[in-house]
Amino acid sequence: MASLRVTVTPDTFTLVDFDPDRIAALAAEVASKVGLTGDITIEVDQTTPLGRTRVVSVDPVVVNVQSGAFEDAKRLRQLSERSAVDVLGRLFHRVKDRLDPRFADAPADGDLTLAQATAWDTYAVGRCERLGYHPSKPRRLYHFRNRHGFTDVADQAFERLWSAPAGSLSWADIQAMCDQTAAIRV
Amino acid sequence: MKKHMPPGELARDERFVRFDREARFEDRRQERRTGPARRGRITPETPAAPDIARSMMHGIFVGEIQALEGAGRTCWDFDAGSDRDEVPFALKLDMARQCWDESRHCEISVKLGEWMGTEIGEYAENTILFEAACNRDAVLRLAGVNRALEGLAIDVFNTMREFGQASGDPVLDFCEDWMLADEVTHVKMGSDWLRRLTENDPDRRERALEFQRVVDKLFSYGGFRGEDDESPVQLARRFRELAGFTTDEIDDIAELSRQAAAEG
Repeated sequence: MASLRVTVTPDTFTLVDFDPDRIAALAAEVASKVGLTGDITIEVDQTTPLGRTRVVSVDPVVVNVQSGAFEDAKRLRQLSERSAVDVLGRLFHRVKDRLDPRFADAPADGDLTLAQATAWDTYAVGRCERLGYHPSKPRRLYHFRNRHGFTDVADQAFERLWSAPAGSLSWADIQAMCDQTAAIRV
Repeated sequence: MKKHMPPGELARDERFVRFDREARFEDRRQERRTGPARRGRITPETPAAPDIARSMMHGIFVGEIQALEGAGRTCWDFDAGSDRDEVPFALKLDMARQCWDESRHCEISVKLGEWMGTEIGEYAENTILFEAACNRDAVLRLAGVNRALEGLAIDVFNTMREFGQASGDPVLDFCEDWMLADEVTHVKMGSDWLRRLTENDPDRRERALEFQRVVDKLFSYGGFRGEDDESPVQLARRFRELAGFTTDEIDDIAELSRQAAAEG
């Protein structure tokens, strides 16, 4: 079995009640299911309660999350394992896709439009569900409709992305669905 | 049945968790937060717009529950009469009508939450609306709840209605429009009763207006509600006029918001 080593920074949290070992264990489990190997670093910015997340590097894998992204929406400063798994699953699938030559022409994360990013996220989060996790499909559908329109065409595109098996789509497929929903938006 | 029920006794099932105000003050991350005002007005181009909208509408949902409870308590807590600790029967009828409106708003909000992918109790519940509805003076309740908080609801509903229109979300647009119409009526009832009940009691009126200012400022924290584009929730001048606010009163709220934004 290929090695997988997860590092969480900082190694001690002072502004939030997060357990770095627990985050590392969750990350290792998710990464393993997604099929990532090697060194993975999870940088948690505990100085802000906001919730932005980003992939800093694909090889080695480095992701940066603001503490709000891992936080329990009901309990300030407490870790939500469900949120952590949601975020890590989505980001790790994006990393996995970027390592696939069929995603070579995908724009850099910073250059993705909101519609492209949301479509890619849908493909990623749908795969998380099939790995046995419990992401909120209605929440993702609402995100998708906001970016692709409140139309039957958008809903059909969402279902195709959500139910697409791992490894079945290329960036061109995702872009084609974005083009399809864009064509009927005013 | 007990009168003047404290907020701690509100009935909630296990899905709901009360917002922990102490924890908020102990959260040192807040010191470094750029403040909600800096987040800016919610538009379809806002990267986190769907989740901001979901969170805001969940806040409205629990506010509707508390508005129902508050109006119901005002019906019950005060006997009909003309003494200082009593209220006119017609006011109780208005509160009963408001209960009916808020009940519908709760149902609309539950359905809207399902549409937006939000679970009931997904976010912590802030009970400040019901706390304002616990004042022993009915006039202060009306000022704090019907004018300040229902006034805020007008601003939120109008902001979210515009967001729904801009993002092409027909359900959000429709729900907000209908609830907004009711809120204008609730605020108008508060404005009318405030003036009638304090017609010959300027001290009581001033205390009520001061209570309203305190509540208004609380919800303008960091510029959350204001007239600048940086404010996530926009002050809805036209609808506030329809609800009985004078131009001077709206200007005062705008100024409070600017002060709150400057204080961060």
